[in-house]
Amino acid sequence: MQSINVYIVKRLGQFFLVVFIGINIVFFVTHATPIDPVEHSIMAAAMFGSTSPEAINMLREALADLYGLKGSLWDQYWTFWKRIAVADFGPSVSSFPTPVSTLIGRAIPWTVGLLLTAVIISWVVGNILGGLAGYYRENRLLKAAGVVAMGLHPIPYYIIAFVLLIIFGYLWPVLPLGGGYQRNMTPGWNLPFIGSVITHGFLPALSLVLVGFGAWFMGMRALVSNIVTEDYVVYAELAGVDRNRILGSYVMRNALVPQITGLGMSLGAIFNGAIITEQVFGYPGVGTLLVSAVHAGDYSLVIGITTISIIGVAGAVLVIDLLYPLLDPRVKIG
Amino acid sequence: MSVLRNLAVAASACVFAFSAYAQSSNLPRHETLIVENPEGTIKNPGWFNYWAVNAGGRSTGLHQLAMDTFWYIDPNYGIDGVWDNSLASEKPIYNADFTEMTVKLRSGIHWSDGVEFSADDVLYTINTHMNTNGLFWSAPIQINVASIEAPDKNTVVFKLKKPNSRFHALFTVRWNGMWMMPRHVFEKAGDPLKFAFNPPVSIGPYTLHSFDNNGKWFTWQKREDWKRTTVARYGEPGPKYVTYMDPGPPDKRVIAQLNHELDIIHDVAPEGMFTLAKQSKTSRGWFKGFPYAHPDPTLPSVILNHQNELFQNKDVRWALALLIDIKAVSMASYRGAATISAIAIPPTGTQPDFYHEPMETWLTDFEIDTGKSKYKPYDPTAGKQIADMLRPSMGDQIPSDPKQIAKAFGRGWWKPNPQVATELLERAGFTKRGDAWYTPKGQPFTIRITTEGESRPVMTRAGSMIAQQWRQFGIDAKIVVAEGGNLIFVRAAGDYEAIMSWSVETWGGHPDLSFFLDSWHSQFVAKPGSPQPPRNWQRWSNPELDKLIEQIRGIGFDDPKGVEIGKEYIKLTVREMPVIPLMAYNVFTVMDETYWTGYPNAETDPYTDPVPNWANTKYMMVKLRPRQK
Repeated sequence: MQSINVYIVKRLGQFFLVVFIGINIVFFVTHATPIDPVEHSIMAAAMFGSTSPEAINMLREALADLYGLKGSLWDQYWTFWKRIAVADFGPSVSSFPTPVSTLIGRAIPWTVGLLLTAVIISWVVGNILGGLAGYYRENRLLKAAGVVAMGLHPIPYYIIAFVLLIIFGYLWPVLPLGGGYQRNMTPGWNLPFIGSVITHGFLPALSLVLVGFGAWFMGMRALVSNIVTEDYVVYAELAGVDRNRILGSYVMRNALVPQITGLGMSLGAIFNGAIITEQVFGYPGVGTLLVSAVHAGDYSLVIGITTISIIGVAGAVLVIDLLYPLLDPRVKIG
Repeated sequence: MSVLRNLAVAASACVFAFSAYAQSSNLPRHETLIVENPEGTIKNPGWFNYWAVNAGGRSTGLHQLAMDTFWYIDPNYGIDGVWDNSLASEKPIYNADFTEMTVKLRSGIHWSDGVEFSADDVLYTINTHMNTNGLFWSAPIQINVASIEAPDKNTVVFKLKKPNSRFHALFTVRWNGMWMMPRHVFEKAGDPLKFAFNPPVSIGPYTLHSFDNNGKWFTWQKREDWKRTTVARYGEPGPKYVTYMDPGPPDKRVIAQLNHELDIIHDVAPEGMFTLAKQSKTSRGWFKGFPYAHPDPTLPSVILNHQNELFQNKDVRWALALLIDIKAVSMASYRGAATISAIAIPPTGTQPDFYHEPMETWLTDFEIDTGKSKYKPYDPTAGKQIADMLRPSMGDQIPSDPKQIAKAFGRGWWKPNPQVATELLERAGFTKRGDAWYTPKGQPFTIRITTEGESRPVMTRAGSMIAQQWRQFGIDAKIVVAEGGNLIFVRAAGDYEAIMSWSVETWGGHPDLSFFLDSWHSQFVAKPGSPQPPRNWQRWSNPELDKLIEQIRGIGFDDPKGVEIGKEYIKLTVREMPVIPLMAYNVFTVMDETYWTGYPNAETDPYTDPVPNWANTKYMMVKLRPRQK
């Protein structure tokens, strides 16, 4: 029992260390960028309209004051950690004075909803088909599935996304070209809205599944191909154990352990958003938010999104570490 | 078989269900104008307080449909002339020394909540900006305004701290202007910097119908009392609904318009325009045929950094200009769809009538004396040559009438002449050894041209072509990329040698040059290392130019002397070549006539700029009419 406690404490320690170092790196990298949010605001404001140089200089002073960018880097660092301690990322500089948490809170359900669905579907489909293909190596349908998986996997994601768009958005326009739901519809927990969200998310999710499932498929097939040559599988077959039972209980279960690790990492990474998916399909989410924050030099928003991402990935690793002993009895503690 | 039949029925049902939910909008399509907002996805969509700097979207329809101010200047010819008195009933009235400006307000204009607009709103707007730092127009108001008073509910008088003959420019829309605030809303809102103004109370002909919480679209609905707004003088706005949306990358914009789901594309690459022209009979640009694009009153140029000692000698600047073949630059950048200009004025709107055409004789006679030879560099047929190059492939789309060619492709440009360039560089102390040029200090003559890469491919392609032409002459020229919007920081910091950008922007419709030229006064040139305020990015200072600017400051906005001073500015910039002007910033705005007619166009009705993020496009709404009932 004591060894389990030590194991958990060690893993928790690792988790907090990773999060602390990650957040520090993000803070210093964002503050080393040459993009000045004040200049960005000024340039955006002065880009088209009538402006006088005198007024621009005055505005520069006022915005630096307003955005709280005066003071040394260490002053800002200290303020930053005080805010992080109470889970407050402060106001977004490029959407001042709207809080960063409001902007992220608005975007993250879309990202999580889309990516969680896509990752789970591609993981389940990829692993089941990959496992079957590795075990029933002579099956023609599964061989064909292997060809499809290997064919799709190396195609750059944006090509697949655009091909889907052209097919279902232009040649056979049955699916919407972009957005999260139908324009001018009021969001709510009702059938038309949910139907609209599913319809608008279908193409982005399909594109992610098509690209994602190949990796799981090939990984699982390779693992199963190795496991089927293990002695215990051969003996089970010679002993006349039902093949489906061998596949489910002897082969797939053992092959799943590294795949679960991969799933955990993928789930943790969904907080990064799917930038290309969001751009191509015009789907809402944190990816677009992050890109626009980087371009605007919006430190607080960049830090907010990346902090959540760091916690997501580190948290997923922590959960996997804690679950490993339960999933695989061969993992020893102590 | 029955399984297959069931599957087919199920698939059809799915497609049917999908199609029902796949409709892009639930508003009647024939009553809705759908427009691209080039700001893209607005990350803070619930923010409509325009007066707080960049806190939310601006060209979401907010400033086109829901804002108003005293005057508008059209970048083209205007719906009823270039100048329009909007919330003001007359032009600005200045006293003799330009220290006082009186504005007569239009009566009978109402906010969308029924409250009448009056001088109280103007007083509130100005006083709020005087008393609050950090609002969009706080600084110019605090610099200029000593006090404001309202002798009656339809008159306001600004007392200025110092003479300013162009103070009204602040309230004159060219893209945007200082909008009026509804006093009755803001005075109850607390801190104006922290008030979201959601939903906005509109003074334009439309009011907010709905918006996407993710910032993808904003829909505006025509006010029932649209007659109580300023555009009512020109008739009823056509569209009942106007949606501004982020349609995504250029390919998707083209697909959306081919599907008739996007009535106005703000801008696409030339190739996208050519595709639409070929595949969609209902799509059209500003020009019905080639070059399609609307030339904005902005002048892309090769901007040379005058704080770099290499470019302080005008002989060097002229030598570089004489190494550029504008025809190749036009083909590389816009695939020939460029409107070129040899002078530092955009060849757009009414500017060619005031400047380009009258200056032709002077330009033709202009001579460069290298000390070894004399050379007349102006080639008045450059635009025609581009048209001739395109005619074999584009056929009848290319005009043959010289006036139409000048309008579409521009007039003349500088004839490339490596020999004269050599003589100018040698006079400046440069030397050529082997195939390479060296500076007077004996260093290799290198030039790095900063471009925006894929963020602005047209300008990047122009920069690449120019670098290639300079390289062929023996200058080590290359482009460097400031990707992702970083160009504006590099430009402001002066951290470049040459940059593909623009420092010349005009009103377009009005010949007054103060819009950009006042900022070129040497009093505003930043020291090396300090940020340069807009728009003298080249950091050029010249005593002769200062005198011209001061002369403009001393005369009224409509004084005919302004055009004469403008011509002196052109002569000075031709002699000095502070920037190398190339062409207008051509915007490939594409309009689909499936649902709407009456768009502005170059041939028959150039009543406004079709580029839909301009606030001036409010006039488009009253000209648009539904194609289908």
